[in-house]
Amino acid sequence: MSSGTGPALAHRSVASIRSAPILQEQAGSGTTPHTPPRTISNTYGSPATIRADDDFLIIQIGSRFVRAGFAGDNQPKAVLTCGPQDQRRAGDFRDWQPAGDVDLQSGNKDHELWRYDLREVDLGLVYDKLDRLLRDAFGRCLLIDSRPRRAGLVLDSGVPIPILSTVLDLLFKGFQTPMISLMSTASMSVVAAGIRSGLVVDMGWAETVVTSVYEYREVKCTRSVRGGRYLNDRLYELLQKLLTGKEEDDGARVISFAECEDIMCRLMWCRPPASKSPQAHKPAQRQSQQLDTVEEQDESEPEPEHSLQNSVASIPLRSINPPRTVEVSFDKLADVCDDTFFALSVAPTEFDDEDFPVHLLIYRHLLQLPMDVRAICMPRIVFTGGCSNILGIKGRIMEEVTSMVKRKGWANVSGKHVEESRNSQFSDRRASIARSVSSTATASDLGEEQESSRPSSIASQSDISDPIEAKVARHRPQISQMQGEFRTLHTLGPWAGASLVSQLKIPAMATVDRELWLQQGANGATRPNEIDVKAQQRQSMGAGGFIRGSGGHHTNWTLGAWGNV
Amino acid sequence: MAPLTPYTYIQCPCSDQTVFGPGGAASDPEENDQTFDPKAPRSNYSLYPLEYLLYCEDCQQIRCPRCVTEESVTYYCPNCLFEVPSSNLRSEGNSRCTRSCYQCPVCVGPLQVGAIQPTTDANLLPTQYQTNPSGGPYALFCQYCNWTSTEIGIEFDRPSGIYNQLSKVNNGGQPKLTLRDVKDRRKDNPDEPPVPDDQVDADLQFANLKAFYQQQLSESNTSLRGLPLHDGLGFSSPAALTRIMSLYTGRGHQGRLQQGPADIMREALGTNDGLKIANLDESKDIKKLIDGGWGVTASIEQRSQQPTEPARFEDELRPIAYLLRSKRSKRCPSCRHIISKPEAKVVSTRFKIRLVAKSYIPTITIRPLNPTATPVPITYRPMVQEEEPLKPHQAYHFVVTFKNPLFDNIKVTLASPPKTPGRFSSRVTVLCPQFEVDANTDMWDDALKDDERDRSRKADEGPEVGKIWEKGRNWVSIVLEVIPASLRIDQLEKKGNEKIDTSPLKKGEDLLEIPMFVRMEWESEAQADMDGPPSKDKETREKRELAYWCVLGVGRISHE
Repeated sequence: MSSGTGPALAHRSVASIRSAPILQEQAGSGTTPHTPPRTISNTYGSPATIRADDDFLIIQIGSRFVRAGFAGDNQPKAVLTCGPQDQRRAGDFRDWQPAGDVDLQSGNKDHELWRYDLREVDLGLVYDKLDRLLRDAFGRCLLIDSRPRRAGLVLDSGVPIPILSTVLDLLFKGFQTPMISLMSTASMSVVAAGIRSGLVVDMGWAETVVTSVYEYREVKCTRSVRGGRYLNDRLYELLQKLLTGKEEDDGARVISFAECEDIMCRLMWCRPPASKSPQAHKPAQRQSQQLDTVEEQDESEPEPEHSLQNSVASIPLRSINPPRTVEVSFDKLADVCDDTFFALSVAPTEFDDEDFPVHLLIYRHLLQLPMDVRAICMPRIVFTGGCSNILGIKGRIMEEVTSMVKRKGWANVSGKHVEESRNSQFSDRRASIARSVSSTATASDLGEEQESSRPSSIASQSDISDPIEAKVARHRPQISQMQGEFRTLHTLGPWAGASLVSQLKIPAMATVDRELWLQQGANGATRPNEIDVKAQQRQSMGAGGFIRGSGGHHTNWTLGAWGNV
Repeated sequence: MAPLTPYTYIQCPCSDQTVFGPGGAASDPEENDQTFDPKAPRSNYSLYPLEYLLYCEDCQQIRCPRCVTEESVTYYCPNCLFEVPSSNLRSEGNSRCTRSCYQCPVCVGPLQVGAIQPTTDANLLPTQYQTNPSGGPYALFCQYCNWTSTEIGIEFDRPSGIYNQLSKVNNGGQPKLTLRDVKDRRKDNPDEPPVPDDQVDADLQFANLKAFYQQQLSESNTSLRGLPLHDGLGFSSPAALTRIMSLYTGRGHQGRLQQGPADIMREALGTNDGLKIANLDESKDIKKLIDGGWGVTASIEQRSQQPTEPARFEDELRPIAYLLRSKRSKRCPSCRHIISKPEAKVVSTRFKIRLVAKSYIPTITIRPLNPTATPVPITYRPMVQEEEPLKPHQAYHFVVTFKNPLFDNIKVTLASPPKTPGRFSSRVTVLCPQFEVDANTDMWDDALKDDERDRSRKADEGPEVGKIWEKGRNWVSIVLEVIPASLRIDQLEKKGNEKIDTSPLKKGEDLLEIPMFVRMEWESEAQADMDGPPSKDKETREKRELAYWCVLGVGRISHE
C-alpha cells in the first residue's frame, strides 16, 4: 500500500489545480491512507476522466426545487423549480410567445416535484421531472458534461424510500454517478451554522419540520403541514374572496398559482411579537395579562394604535381577465400569516397531530426531548427553508415559544386544573418544577425572573462534580457550552453545509455505490445498526475506486437515516 | 396551447426502459404492451419533434437528448462571444462571464457600461454613452428599461473589468468584506472586536466556517467520531501512523487521558469561527415593505435570476453576469461513437459530425384532406392560418405523408389503436396500414418518370380502403380517418364497472392526438464489421428494422 504514496502526491498536484492548494478537490473519499482514485477503467474511460473526478456535485432536492453545484462553493450554481411550463414537450415554445393564455388550471401538484403521500405520486413522473431538471442544471448552469461524477445528495430524512430510490436510480442510471453520499438536510443545516447540535426548524413548502440534532445525529423529528403550501392556499382564499366576493371555491381558479405565489413571496410579512410591537409602552399590567391569555386573544382584531394597519398594497394582477389592480391591506396579509403559522385563535386542543402551529410544534418538540439534549438545543435554534424568509417570522416564533415556556415551564401537563394550581400555588411551583425538570434544562419557567445569568452558572457547577474529572478537564481546553436559554443562529442552509462537509472530505452518513445499487437496489440496504463500522472504514480506504474494483464483493451499506426496506 | 397546425412527435425508444412500478422496481411487462398514451403526463418527457433527434448508425437507434452522453467542446460567453478556456472555468469555479457582460436584474436585457454624466449637464440623458477619455465614474445602463447600477448605489472607476470591480462592492457602494480583509484588519489591530453580524454576508460566513472546520479537523483527533480527514501527508507522517493504529485498536480512548489534541472538535463560538446570530428583529424591513408596497419588492422571476441569495427588495438586486454556454459533442451511450460534433470555433455554427434522425427515418407530415383554412400567401408568411376545430361525430380525413430519406426502399407498417386513449376517445382508422416507400434516388429520376404522376388520384375521387392515396419518388401518402369524440362530460361512455371521471375538461384534453406505431423494414448493404474481414460478396443485403411510436397531432375538437 505504501507504494501508493508516490503516485498519490503526483496526482494531487494535478488535482489541486482548481483551488487552494491545501485542499484537494476529491472530497468525501474516505479515510486518510488511500490509494488515489485512478482513472477507473469503466466503459467511459477516456484520458479526460481525470478531471471529472475532481468535481464533487452537491444536489439538494426539495419538494419544489433542485439545488445543484460543486462542493466547496458557498452557494449552488443552479436553483431550479419545476413548474408546468417546464413540463412541456421539447420544441414547445409557448413560453416565449407573447402572453395571452394564462395557465389558471395548474395547482399545487403541478408545481411540485413529489409529495410525501406516495398515493398521489407517479414515481415515473418524478423520475422524468428530476431528470429534466438535473440535465438543465448540469448542462446550462454548471456547464458540465456527462462524465460520471461523484455526488452528494442532500435530502430531508423523511423522504420515503421509493422516492429516494427513484432519485438514486436516476443518478446511477441516467447520470452514471459512481458513488452517492446521502446527507440529511437537518444535520447539514447544523453544520452550516457551525454547531454540532441544534434544533433545526425547516419551514419548507410541504411541511414545517422541526428536527433536533445532537452531535450531528438526528434525535427527533416532528412535522406540521403548516408550511408554504398551506400559506399559499390561505392567501389564495383571501384573494379569491376579495376578487369574487364568494367564500367557496367553484372549481376554476381565480388567479393563477404562479401569481398567487409571487404575491406570497413579495408581500407576506408577520406581525412583530406582541411585546415588541408599538403597544409595548402600554401599562405593564396589560402586557402580563396578554401573555397569560395568548390563546384566547384575537390577534386579527385590528389594533388602533398600530401604524401599519392602514397601509394597503396595490397588487397588479395579470392572470385574471381583464387585468386589474387589487388592493389588499397589509393587515390582512399578516392575518393570513398568523392563521397559518400560529393559529392563535384556535385552542391548542383543537389541533391534530399533523397540523400544530409552529410555535407549539417547537415547544412540544423541545418538551419531548431528553433534557440534556433540550438544554443543548435551546441556544442553537436554526431556521431554514423558504418560509423562514417571511419578514419577521423568526422573531415572532421565538417570542411565542419563549412566552409559552415562561407560562408553562417544561411540564408536560396542561388543563384547567393545572392552570389553577399553578396560579394558586405559585411558591410551591418553583420547587416542584425544579424537582421534575433538570436544573440545567431551563430556568425560564420562573415567570418574570431574568433567565440569562442562571444557566451558565449551572453549567459550570455541574462540571466540577468529580475531582478526577476536574483534573482531566484541566488538561483540556475549557469549552463553555451555552445551555438552557434561547438563542437563534443563522445557517447558510443545508446545501452550503453539504458543500462544506464534502469539501472537507468527511464521510457522509451513508454512501451508496453504483455497482451495489444496480445489483441490489434499495433492498440491499441493511439496517443502520447492523453495519460494521470498522469494515466500512476499511472498505472506504480504497476511496471509491477500491470498492468499484472489487465488483461483486459483499459489503454492507445503508441508506442511513432513510431506513431500509 | 400547443402548435395548432397538425404536427408529429416521435417517442424516443429509450424512455421505455425507465418505467417504474410503485416499489421503484423496474417495469412490469404488462405496462409495455399497452398503447402509448400521448396525454399521459410522462409522455411529455419522451416525445420529441423529429428535428431534435439524432441517430446512431452503429446501433441503428434513435437517440434523443436524454440518451446521449455529452462532452463539452468550447465554453463561451453568449454576449461577447469570447471563448473561455476550460482551465479558467475550473480554476475560478465560475460558470459566468468574467469580463463585463451583465444582464439587467430587472428586465434581463443586456447592460452597457457608460460614464455617468456630470450632474451639471442636465440636458443629457444618463444613458447617452460618451467616450470620456478622462474617465469619471462609470455605471451599468440597461438600454431597455433604463435601469442603471446607480440605483443600487454602485459606480465603477474603470469602464473595463466590471466583474472584478463589482465583486468587491456591495449594493449601496460599501466594499464587500472578505476573509482576507478581516484577517488583515486583525493583524493590524489584534484587539479589534470581530465584525458585527450584520456585516457578515454569506460569503464571509462560509469562508469563516470553512477555515474553522479545517482548523478543527487538523487539531482534533481524527479517529474518533468518524471524522477522518486527509491532511495531505503520506504514510511516513506520524499522524497517519497513529491514525492507522487507532483504526485497529478501536475507539477505546474514553478511559485514557488524551494527550495533545482534543478528541472532539468544538463548535463555532464566535464570528471568526463562522457563528452568526440570526437577526430576529426585522422591523426595518417590514417598515420598508409596508411603506413601499408592491413596487419595492422583487418578483419571483427576478429573484430566480439572481445568482446569489435571493433578494427581497428591488434595490437588493444585482446585475447578473451572463451564464457561459458550451458547445457540446454528443456520443451514443452504448457504442461510444460520436453522433454530433460542432466546430470548436465559437462563431461557427457548422458541425463536423451530425447524424440527424431526419436522414435515417421517414419524415411524417400530416395535413387535412379538405383544409378549411385558406392557404397563406407567401408574402404573409410565417403567419399561420388556423384550422377550424373538428366537430364531434363527423368523419375527417387526413393525409399522412411518409418521406423516405434512405437510399433503399422501405416497407412501412402502421398500427394505431382504434380508439385514442384518454377520457374522450376518438375513433381512428388507418386506411392503408402497410405500404412501401421508394428509395431516395436521384432527383432526376422523378422527372424522368413522368408516368408516375398520372397515377396520382384525381381530386374528386374519395379515399379508398387499402390503397395508397398519393405516391411520388420517395414519398407515399395515405389517408387517415378520424371521428372525433364529443367533449361533453355527460356523454361519456361507461366501460364496464369503471367509474367515470366526471371532472371538468382538463387542459389539453380537447387536443386530438393519435398515437401511431411505425415499423419500418428495409434491406441495406451489410456494414463492414470491424471484427470480421469484409465479406467478399458485395451483394450481401442485410435486413434492418426500426420501430417507434409517434404522435400525430390532428387538431382541436370543438366544444359543443
